[in-house]
Amino acid sequence: MDDRRTVNRSMFWRVIRRMIFANRGRLFVILLALGAGSAVTAALLNLQADAKRRLTSEFRSFGANILITPAAANSQPDRALLLNESVVPLIMNGSMPAEAHGSAMIYGLAAVRLKSTDSLKNGSSETTAVIAGHGEGDDPGSFKTVEKALQSELSRDPWGRMAGCIVGSTLASQMKVHVLEVLQLRNGERKVDCAVGEIRSFGTSEDNEISTSQRTTQTLLMVPGAISLVRLRISGPPAQVYETIMALQKKLDENQDALRRFSDRDKAFFAQYGNVSLETMDTVERRLSVAQVSPIRQFTEGEARLYEKISGVLTATVVVVLVLTALCVMAAMTNIAAERKNDIGLMKAIGGSVRRVLRIFLAEAALLGLAAGLIGAAAGILLSIGLGKAVFGVAAQPRLVVYPISVTLTVIVAILAAYPLRRLVRIRPTSVFRGEE
Amino acid sequence: MFLRLIADNFTRRPRRKLLTAAALSLGMAVATAALSVSLDVGDRLAKEFRSLGANLVVTPEADSLPLEIGGVDYRPVNAGAYLPESDLPKIKSVFWHNNIIAFAPILEVHPAAWLFAAKDGQYQSGDWIRDVSVIGTWSDHPVPLKDGNEFRTGIAKTNPWWQVEGRWFSDDGKECVVGAEFAAKNHLKVGDEVSLATGRVTKFPSPLKVTGIVSSGGPEDEAILVPLTQAQSLAHASGQYRKLYVSALTKPEDDFARRDPKSMNPDDLERWSCSPYVSSIAYSIKQVLPGSDVRVIRRVADGEGKILTRVRVLLWLVTLASLLAAALAVGASSAASVLERRGEIGLMKALGAGSSTVGWLLAAEQLLLALVGGCIGYGVGLLLARFLGTKIFGVPPAPSLLVLGIVLVLAAGVTLLGSALPLRRAANYDPAPILRGE
Repeated sequence: MDDRRTVNRSMFWRVIRRMIFANRGRLFVILLALGAGSAVTAALLNLQADAKRRLTSEFRSFGANILITPAAANSQPDRALLLNESVVPLIMNGSMPAEAHGSAMIYGLAAVRLKSTDSLKNGSSETTAVIAGHGEGDDPGSFKTVEKALQSELSRDPWGRMAGCIVGSTLASQMKVHVLEVLQLRNGERKVDCAVGEIRSFGTSEDNEISTSQRTTQTLLMVPGAISLVRLRISGPPAQVYETIMALQKKLDENQDALRRFSDRDKAFFAQYGNVSLETMDTVERRLSVAQVSPIRQFTEGEARLYEKISGVLTATVVVVLVLTALCVMAAMTNIAAERKNDIGLMKAIGGSVRRVLRIFLAEAALLGLAAGLIGAAAGILLSIGLGKAVFGVAAQPRLVVYPISVTLTVIVAILAAYPLRRLVRIRPTSVFRGEE
Repeated sequence: MFLRLIADNFTRRPRRKLLTAAALSLGMAVATAALSVSLDVGDRLAKEFRSLGANLVVTPEADSLPLEIGGVDYRPVNAGAYLPESDLPKIKSVFWHNNIIAFAPILEVHPAAWLFAAKDGQYQSGDWIRDVSVIGTWSDHPVPLKDGNEFRTGIAKTNPWWQVEGRWFSDDGKECVVGAEFAAKNHLKVGDEVSLATGRVTKFPSPLKVTGIVSSGGPEDEAILVPLTQAQSLAHASGQYRKLYVSALTKPEDDFARRDPKSMNPDDLERWSCSPYVSSIAYSIKQVLPGSDVRVIRRVADGEGKILTRVRVLLWLVTLASLLAAALAVGASSAASVLERRGEIGLMKALGAGSSTVGWLLAAEQLLLALVGGCIGYGVGLLLARFLGTKIFGVPPAPSLLVLGIVLVLAAGVTLLGSALPLRRAANYDPAPILRGE
């Protein structure tokens, strides 16, 4: 009994081997059709997962989507509530649900005067303008558009010892300031010089501001150790952004006691670098407030909507393409399988049972599907890496789970395509041999 | 005879031909659906990007410097210049008027406010609140167009993320909408009334009814929004505004778009102003609004351009990949249909047909199949694309003849290519062994 089974089995495989390799042309065509389907499946599945993730990081180019501000605002600029500078390390350190980048800002008003070497122009009048101090220490590689450029510009120090600044286009045209000229910023008796590194148009209120470093601004405004707000960019799907806001708010609330005062050591340090008395530090400390985390709704909501649409388009296109490709491959395969009438007729004539004949053909289809799937999926994953590089500049990460999925799908498609052979099994061998259609 | 052979071939084995045609149709349906979506998605997404709000801002050229910190302007009242409201309809007369989907003028005032809060049917009131920020704008204002129609626009369209509980004020009524935080702080509800006044108050100005509570997530939450005309009478600047937000559909900027129009030669200038770049739209608005300074909100415009380009490229690649797969599968199918006809080809050659005759016959057959399959596939693909478009954007993509052309050419090309290889071999067949059944 066992003997017969082994003989049967070896015969089974021999038949299959013969069938697969008998017609090289046919084999090539089948592998091409199935392999193409498998490659596209693997490439699209891999790319789709990766693209959605990349997309949320692309939203970074909109700049911040979260603001951290003092909980209560005050309409007087010189008495406005402030945040403790140490809020920045508190935000940036520790785990967060999503990737975050940010910068701390200090705002204030100052009298601005063009300081010219030309003695005739020396008496030019003062203008009041908003001074924005950008944090230097907190992740300069963060914002791709405005902030990153600002950071690199600010750290470039044209005269070695003078602070650099960027002047907004509106302010610049009104003051007739040009690049590499020197501005004097004055707050009461305190004066700071800064060299104009660049004049830029933002289209927003930054056009009316002078941006310089955080330390320079804090010293000028006599509020060392304090900031007005923190701008944050949280990358990730919308749900994750809201989750992060909650987590941040919780973290800040837990630490609110520490954030509402300076330690003695900090106070001494700030007083020294800011060149202010310890009494001034006490008044600054009194202005420190609880922090409030709020989304910039223009971007959080707009992005949520966009994310939904774009991933909708992507998923829908991928699903449609995959389903149609599968059907198309199936139709092609069925077409190829239909010519096997003679083989089936012969097998039945020499005594093959219907089940047996079917098993042989299904095994053949599965084997071909497996081979084409293995080759095609590998090609597809390579393809998606290339595509990812072309679109996002970063190679798409190959997801290993995609590989077995597309191979399995290909095998299923191949078997389904061979299924119409069942109909052929019912044909009578004699009619085949007589050459009847 | 040629035609009869072809016709005979189709009627004799309908099932096989049907399968080949099905493979073709499905493949071409993939191509059509993917192509339609990719062609259409740029415009649709550009519209979706407008949910981020305005991408252009217009201010008076001769304005004094705004002193804005956290959205609050610290300038003294009445400092600065204005722009005339009567010029606004001209915006819809610029070359790119179809791309301008919304605009809203803004006039900010800082009057004192007297609140009447309804309590059990009785009105209760407190003291004058000094220095309230009041924003005058349009909520849904009709702008007359040259062709007699009107265009309705306002802040609700330029800033779609603002949520109003209740409803927006009507532009000509004595109504207002109150920012969420201001309302919470002063216990204001929908239905309460607010009096606004500037300067020395001698008598109560007629109150405005609160019709809604707006939450914007920005400084507007601390403000009162009133119809533009109300703000104008408070600021004694009738028919004028301070700032205009414009929301326009744009094409992502490339290097060419960033050039300065003043330094272009006439040809380039024409090409530049005939592309809906955000900067060329800004330029054309500046031309119709004298004394204005039109600036691009870089943060919105740049991010938008970048993402739009990425998504487009991505979808094109998906399309290309699906075209490739469809082509290969269809090619395989037509190759198979030639391979199986060895007997027939042998017979034809034995009867004296030359290789070229056999080739032409099979090619004509394949082309006919491609035409039919391509048309069916186009129809199916179009239905699918419509379904997808409506599902995602609410608007079906416009059927494009270009897609039909591409699909038919593709179908013909793929079938011919797929059958070319086996045909070449068929041409070399020796009829005798085939007829003998070897």
